[in-house]
Amino acid sequence: MTTFEIRSGVDLHDVQGNIIKGYGRYGFPVARYVTYRINAAVAGRTFIKLLVPMLTTSVPWSESGVVEEGTKQPPSTTNVALTYEGLRRLGVPERSLLSFPDEFVMGMRARASILGDVGASAPKNWDPVWQTEDGQQPVHLLVTINAESSDALAQRYEEVGLAARAANDVAGDSAGVQQLAGHRSAGGADAAFQDGAALRDEHGTPGPKEHFGYTDGISDPYYKDSGSRSSNVIGGGKRLRDSSPATDAGWAPLATGELLLGHTDEALEYPAAPVPSTLSKNGTYLVYRKLHQNVATFDRYAASEAAKLSMEENLFRAKLVGRWPNGAPLASFPTEAEANAFNAKLEQAKADRFDETATPTQRAAATERHLELKEQQSGFDYREDIAGESCPVGAHSRRANPRGSLEFGQDHAFSTPGALVNRRRIARRGLPYGDSSDRSVDNGDHGIIFMAIGASINRQFEFVQQQWMNFGNDFRLGNDQDALLASWPDEDIDPLRARMTFEVDPDGMEVPKICTGIPQFVETRGGDYFFVPSLTALSAIARGAVDPT
Amino acid sequence: MVGAGGGGRLPKSSKHYGLTALCPIKLGTAPGRNSSYEAVVRETLAGLDSHERSPMARVPNTYLARLYILKDVFYEGRSQQEHLKSQYLFFGSDFHGELEPYLRGMWENIEPEVRLIWQHCVAFGSSVNSAESFVDYIKKCQVSNTFLFNGSNDRPLAEQLKGLYLKQEFGDFVASHQGASDDELRSAFLSFAERVQVTKLDGPTWRPGAQTLESARTHS
Ligand code: HEM
Repeated sequence: MTTFEIRSGVDLHDVQGNIIKGYGRYGFPVARYVTYRINAAVAGRTFIKLLVPMLTTSVPWSESGVVEEGTKQPPSTTNVALTYEGLRRLGVPERSLLSFPDEFVMGMRARASILGDVGASAPKNWDPVWQTEDGQQPVHLLVTINAESSDALAQRYEEVGLAARAANDVAGDSAGVQQLAGHRSAGGADAAFQDGAALRDEHGTPGPKEHFGYTDGISDPYYKDSGSRSSNVIGGGKRLRDSSPATDAGWAPLATGELLLGHTDEALEYPAAPVPSTLSKNGTYLVYRKLHQNVATFDRYAASEAAKLSMEENLFRAKLVGRWPNGAPLASFPTEAEANAFNAKLEQAKADRFDETATPTQRAAATERHLELKEQQSGFDYREDIAGESCPVGAHSRRANPRGSLEFGQDHAFSTPGALVNRRRIARRGLPYGDSSDRSVDNGDHGIIFMAIGASINRQFEFVQQQWMNFGNDFRLGNDQDALLASWPDEDIDPLRARMTFEVDPDGMEVPKICTGIPQFVETRGGDYFFVPSLTALSAIARGAVDPT
Repeated sequence: MVGAGGGGRLPKSSKHYGLTALCPIKLGTAPGRNSSYEAVVRETLAGLDSHERSPMARVPNTYLARLYILKDVFYEGRSQQEHLKSQYLFFGSDFHGELEPYLRGMWENIEPEVRLIWQHCVAFGSSVNSAESFVDYIKKCQVSNTFLFNGSNDRPLAEQLKGLYLKQEFGDFVASHQGASDDELRSAFLSFAERVQVTKLDGPTWRPGAQTLESARTHS
């Protein structure tokens, strides 16, 4: 038994690693998402049995955790998730199946109207792999592989393929588990898998950018007992009252049950979970969404609308997201000069931290500096900016996580400033895919494999998508949608409806700027809702031993 | 906790009333039909229009109303062997004002639909033939509830619809007149005010029950 288990209250050996670790942050710049159909239960179960020993858990890696005794970071990671139809085909008993939440049973396609998957985003336009002939979910099992290099990725992919073949041999059915092709890629619409990869800078170094040019993957919720560095609570936890958002006194860890089933959540309850508890405990849900990005339209609109509103284009881009393209939050760094100065310090500290020619003492000092600056990147809220004069109220990241600002400056309106937010947090675990170096066209192969993890798809992801991205009422923004994600039915868009306001000081003389005629920048290309079982649950599923009675 | 028959109203001063009524549906086979009363009621509910064409959109001051059939209770998370004695028509409505005038308004505006919906409920046919008897009937079926629909303040519906209308139209006005000169702005605003009739509640406004901006705007 290792020390962190005793300390942590969560058996991190039992929890799949993609739940707690954003692999992208740990130097795994490439990923492969492999989709399977299960035609024979025996083959499916055997496949899972063979996968279990290959799976990556949430046990901290020695370099990055709080714990002395982490495991060594592997060259690649492997995780597995199942749709409702997958669980059914694996022979999970009816009583357990009936205990899953509605949205999971229905699957993402059936939730299209709730999610705003209309028009260009409508399921009929999704990649072939997500199309269904019989109304059932086409994908049953998802294997996600992240790796430090293409070689490590190819090797692990090969090993997973061998496991599938071995499972089919055991079942005596060559199509018992069947890898499903049909992912759109640069080479056509029939790729055997979906690849993802961090975008590379001009030196070929993988970095944190997404295709619109923003630094992404900065904010990450921090949960109790998740085994990650305790200072990540700053900006990642839930906001406390009467303390600065810049320090760890300003935040507390989110309850584990917001992330993992079988643990108490922010309502001090165990989240509704499927039976028996061996099936659900330490498991969670994964939303997989392939989001295509119309880069040419985005660049064109940013340039023309910024000019129309007499703004610097970079400021315009920052206002849409709430962070400058370099990642500095608008709420703390309202001018480009401040944002650039901050970012230069951050980059320098990072370079010094990894500078092999420096002495250990110098590197330790640089590490300290780097971590402090990263805290500044996350440790903010909107309390000093309720009206939205720095960061618009409708900016993408402010919608996604209002950080306590839904009190609208009326302190003590709720028992805690995070009352309306703490149960709506989502852990993002995706990566970009494709190449957008040709910025002149929209229809290349480029976007994000968006993955959201949490204990309730309905309460967390679906709520954020439906109420906060596709609607504005909670922010007193009427029908305004998120500018980045807004989706429209096929009819012509009323240019006045597709709008976003950049607020100003309500007591000042300046006039707010309103961008209008926002085109659709992001289109859904497929995906589904998955259950990410614990290792215990996977073993029980593999043995056909899930017993809900 | 609000006692039985008290409806939901939190806090006490609020004008927002939350009604929940469970009306037992007759047991057995509907005459002349090959199906149960419950199936007939279900069919009736399925045939009702929704949103701005819902009959409830014609009932004054309705914020949100729901009708469905409660077949059996089941509890989440706990296993409890408790079943309903009968099948119930669930009627929930969140509205502005007092219960009795609200129900009278319902009878006055949509009596044929009320009769259609409730006809197979126990004792409805024999006891309800007027606004007052409908009020009595619903009050007998009323159960206490503590949950209110939270998407609305407690102002009269007409005021809320006008407020939403004005907010949307004013937003459009501002967005489409950015950069206009003072003179242009002044004259445009005067004709805007003329058009939206700020103080006229029944004037240009949104339609009750509308679920989309398009349908809200096509006020009949
Ligand atoms: C192509 C699609 C998307 C793009 C380009 C995008 C881009 C970004 C960027 C640049 C940030 C700021 C960086 C950061 O804080 O990590 C961000 C933050 C965030 N986004 Fe997105 N996003 C997309 C889709 C979504 C979707 C679909 C959701 C959820 C429904 C979402 C939820 C969030 C959340 C929760 C944050 C963190 C907010 C915070 O904690 O401050 N994003 N996104």
